[in-house]
Amino acid sequence: MRYWLSAVVLLTAAVAYAQSGLPVRDFGVTWARGAPRVSFSAKDLADDRVRQELSSGLRKRLVVTVRSHLKGSNRRITDRQFGCDVTLDLWDDGYLVRIGNQSERLKTLEQVLDRCLVVNGLFVGEPKSYEAQKGKDIYFFVKAEFNPISKKQCSELIRPTSGNDPIGPITINIVRRRICRAERTVEFRSEYLGVPE
Amino acid sequence: MSRFERKILFAIGLSVFLTLGGSVFLAQGALREVYRVGVNERFGAELVHGVEARRAQLMALRSGSEQVADAVGWAVEAELTKNRRTSKLEPLLHELVKQYDTVAGIRVVDDVGREVASVSREPDATVGRAMRTTTRERGIEVGGRNLRVDVEVAVPEVYFERLQEAGEVADVYSRLQRQSASVSDVYVWVFGVLVFFVIVVAFLIGAVVSRRVTRRVTALADASRKVGAGDLTVTLPTGATDEVTELTQAFNEMVRDLRDSRTRIEYLQRISAWQDFARRLAHEIKNPLTPIQLAAQEMDETYDGGDEAYRKKLEHARAIIEEEVATLRRLVGEFSAFAKLPRADLSPSDLCELMQNIQDSVPAILEDVGHGTPAPVEVRVSCATEPIHVRMDPMMLKRGVDNILRNAIQAVYEAKPSGGGHVFVRAYATDVAGFIEVRDNGPGIGKENWDRVFDPYYTTKAEGTGLGLAIVKKVVLEHGGEVRLDRAPEGGARFCIELPLMESR
Repeated sequence: MRYWLSAVVLLTAAVAYAQSGLPVRDFGVTWARGAPRVSFSAKDLADDRVRQELSSGLRKRLVVTVRSHLKGSNRRITDRQFGCDVTLDLWDDGYLVRIGNQSERLKTLEQVLDRCLVVNGLFVGEPKSYEAQKGKDIYFFVKAEFNPISKKQCSELIRPTSGNDPIGPITINIVRRRICRAERTVEFRSEYLGVPE
Repeated sequence: MSRFERKILFAIGLSVFLTLGGSVFLAQGALREVYRVGVNERFGAELVHGVEARRAQLMALRSGSEQVADAVGWAVEAELTKNRRTSKLEPLLHELVKQYDTVAGIRVVDDVGREVASVSREPDATVGRAMRTTTRERGIEVGGRNLRVDVEVAVPEVYFERLQEAGEVADVYSRLQRQSASVSDVYVWVFGVLVFFVIVVAFLIGAVVSRRVTRRVTALADASRKVGAGDLTVTLPTGATDEVTELTQAFNEMVRDLRDSRTRIEYLQRISAWQDFARRLAHEIKNPLTPIQLAAQEMDETYDGGDEAYRKKLEHARAIIEEEVATLRRLVGEFSAFAKLPRADLSPSDLCELMQNIQDSVPAILEDVGHGTPAPVEVRVSCATEPIHVRMDPMMLKRGVDNILRNAIQAVYEAKPSGGGHVFVRAYATDVAGFIEVRDNGPGIGKENWDRVFDPYYTTKAEGTGLGLAIVKKVVLEHGGEVRLDRAPEGGARFCIELPLMESR
């Protein structure tokens, strides 16, 4: 029992330390019918190199993930993710931006970044996700990634050999995670805020 | 954990660690070399060049389409300058579409947005191919009128797709390049972890195996200590078929031999003590017998009184004394013979020859048992067809077998005085030992007495001295053999003497 308590205390301390290490940014949070709508900007993901890559004519991906957590816990309440496939149109001026199944054409890179990295009034989860958390402190964690390779695409690109190699299936997953991770990542969180009663 | 177990585990661990540790070291070098060959900068650079080439191709197509749009604009401007009738433009536009592959259509619009002329490429040429189109606008001024020429240019979508595919491959390859050192490290780490598990499993298996072996070795050591302390009843279980089992079997055999030897030595020591006792007893009894007998004779012969009744008492007393003295003399004789029993002098001999000698002595024994007339007992003596070579003292052994045979004949005769008794004496051999078997169809000996009949002075007969079978056992033990008693198939007693063969068959 003493060991379990020690483990829980250590885990809580580690989580608290990890949360305190994240940079805090201003978030706009409003509650609509029991669900939060968040607004924030992750445009600083686009440094010079990212901007250059986005203007290369090759398809690049911007992914923003928002998660809500209870204060002092790594347990996720809910999350929301959206991504943009951005391609500079070499045949015509402008950028082709694809979000989900919809495509749109934007004239400038700034417009693209505003569209993909600036979030306004995004619902994070449904009201039922927050019903049990009423009155508790939560925070929103944001992870903005430039050009992660999706799991599906990564599996297609890096396939294990078809032999009886016992190490292959284990290592291929580790290698995939390393190779297919984002080229640049920005992480931050919101201030703690209480879930309305 | 015993020292032996620790040594076995250390040996297993060392061999596994050296083998697998060496393989990890070699695998690390091999993996880095494979990666260096497979993922090298030149390949990466060539892939990037490929992407650049495709991009340059597209840019060239775009530049070409701009030039085509310029050329179309100029041609329309020239035509309208020469011939101001816009209705005559269409043949020119058809000609231009035919001339430039990238042109999908041309539309001329006046300054108020009204279409003046337009043509489109026949769909046959591009059917089934996805095309990316855009419109290049060119403004022209003819005779003070501002016109706009919209040139729709198209290029196959596949050019863009190929650029994207090349870009993805180059992207992944560049990531592989960047991660090459760490990826090979991942393989080595995973391999190392697997090796660690193999070492742990090898240790566990080694521990189990060594524990099984050491447990048996420890049991052997404990048993040896018990034997050293004098406990010869120790017997270890033998189950598996390995060297330790052979060692255990050898140990059990050794303990059994020690036990037999000790029993034999103890018996011979006991016999020796009894021989000493018999010699003293014979000496002490034998000396006063003659004076007693002479005194009784003198008392009887020197009485000259007239009392007839007293004379008869004297004669009766003299007869009793002489009879008892005779009995005592016989006992003293037997004790003396037992005390003087020599040690067996062994020499190579044939058991079948001994059987022949015994056959020769059978009539005398029958007559002796029958008190002058041969006892009605059938005695059969037989031997194997081949000689049975053993080291023996023929006289001593014959004496022992004679004792058993005499006992058997007496027992059968007492049980069946009018005939019907049988005694069988035979010699035979197995691969390792020669045997003399004496069995009868008499009343037999109770199982409770089988161990005691060979003790000196133990007898079940009224006139027995209890020395006959003791002599038999002493003689047999001095031959390195054994004598056993059990029940004969005919219902009587069966004595079996086992003697070691001179050579195993």
